[in-house]
Amino acid sequence: MLLLMAAGGLAGGLGALLGIGGGIVLVPVLVLGFGIPMEQAVPASLMCVVANSCAAAASYVENKLSDIRLGLTLELATVLGAIVGGLVAAYVAEATVAIVFGLFTLYVALQMLLVRAPRQEPMTAANYVPSNYPLGISGSFVAGGLSALLGVGGGPLKVPLMAYGMRVPFKVASATSNLMIGVTGAASVAAYAWRGHLDLTLVSPLVVGVLGGAVVGSRLMPKVPTAVLKKLFAGVLLGVAGQMLWKGGAGLWPSVLR
Amino acid sequence: MAERVEVSGGEPEPAAPPASVTAAVVTAPGRGTREVVLASTVVMPAELVPEPDTAPGVPAHEAPLPVGRAVAGERWVARVLRAGAIMSGGMFLLSLVLEALPRSQAVHVAIDLLRKGAASMLLVTPVARLAVAGTLLGVRGEWRYAAIAAGVLGLLAVAVGAGFQA
Repeated sequence: MLLLMAAGGLAGGLGALLGIGGGIVLVPVLVLGFGIPMEQAVPASLMCVVANSCAAAASYVENKLSDIRLGLTLELATVLGAIVGGLVAAYVAEATVAIVFGLFTLYVALQMLLVRAPRQEPMTAANYVPSNYPLGISGSFVAGGLSALLGVGGGPLKVPLMAYGMRVPFKVASATSNLMIGVTGAASVAAYAWRGHLDLTLVSPLVVGVLGGAVVGSRLMPKVPTAVLKKLFAGVLLGVAGQMLWKGGAGLWPSVLR
Repeated sequence: MAERVEVSGGEPEPAAPPASVTAAVVTAPGRGTREVVLASTVVMPAELVPEPDTAPGVPAHEAPLPVGRAVAGERWVARVLRAGAIMSGGMFLLSLVLEALPRSQAVHVAIDLLRKGAASMLLVTPVARLAVAGTLLGVRGEWRYAAIAAGVLGLLAVAVGAGFQA
């Protein structure tokens, strides 16, 4: 139980720092480290994403790091994309989508690692104006669709989309993503819970750990230099890319990768 | 055509507030030239008296919202999120503490109830945040965002009802 709490704390801290929820860390840890079946690990990690969002976003909203208006706008496109993704899931080759998404996240990760941003970023949501709304809305629509098709959270896609596509300061993008993922995560968990796939015995220590980690992460985030956060984010994106490429590869060439 | 412009005169000193000079800008119609008249005291027409919520030199439609209301809105959103996180976290923690007690039917039922309550509380919190944010933005007159929040809530209801994973 203490190990589960520690895993939750790590995922919560990282998720709060980067605006990714922590599911990308928790699912492999639960499956590979604790031997928990994927069917239980995914809804449990989604529950942790919701917990992380609530705990971290409370602090970010209070400190004016989260952009509530931008979050609402992109949330609408994300949920719409998720519904469309759910509708077309039966007609789309999941493995191909996973490989395309994996290559895209790999490209974004390398871009973040190798290219230096010259601009000075404002610290709060009060002193900047997001640009390129059409790109942000269409990107969020795609993020929602991918979330439904591949089971990945929107954070790894939405943070770079806001930061690079809409010229939102990285920390504001991360904090706004944190605010948004709670709503989409709650909807996903509700769907799992109604089908009886939510194991509350597993969720309890994880959520307690995540809440603690998220509180620490949300206090650390304003103090951590943006360059460090970007490097951390790029590392996480590399992990996502690896997972997606493996998932896609296992679908396309099962005899090689399984 | 006349415009009112407030100009702060002189270097502000820490101890005393800066002297304020009122300038009237007068434009000759049809010629595109402006004659600027500076005076220490200018009698302003009644309709040009500055509005209390408008910062000097800033048009009314670009003026920031009164700080109290803006802050109150964000605080309410933060309070909803924090309350949900603390209450559900507390209930999950209590259920873990109860697991250390000797097992009985009553303890088992209490743990089950606490966990179900905590999970429900956690799932409702982001949706409540969305509703509160939409309502507060509507109260501020930002109808577009209030409508977007309502749209997100409606789509979520559709998504959950249909069993999709948003």
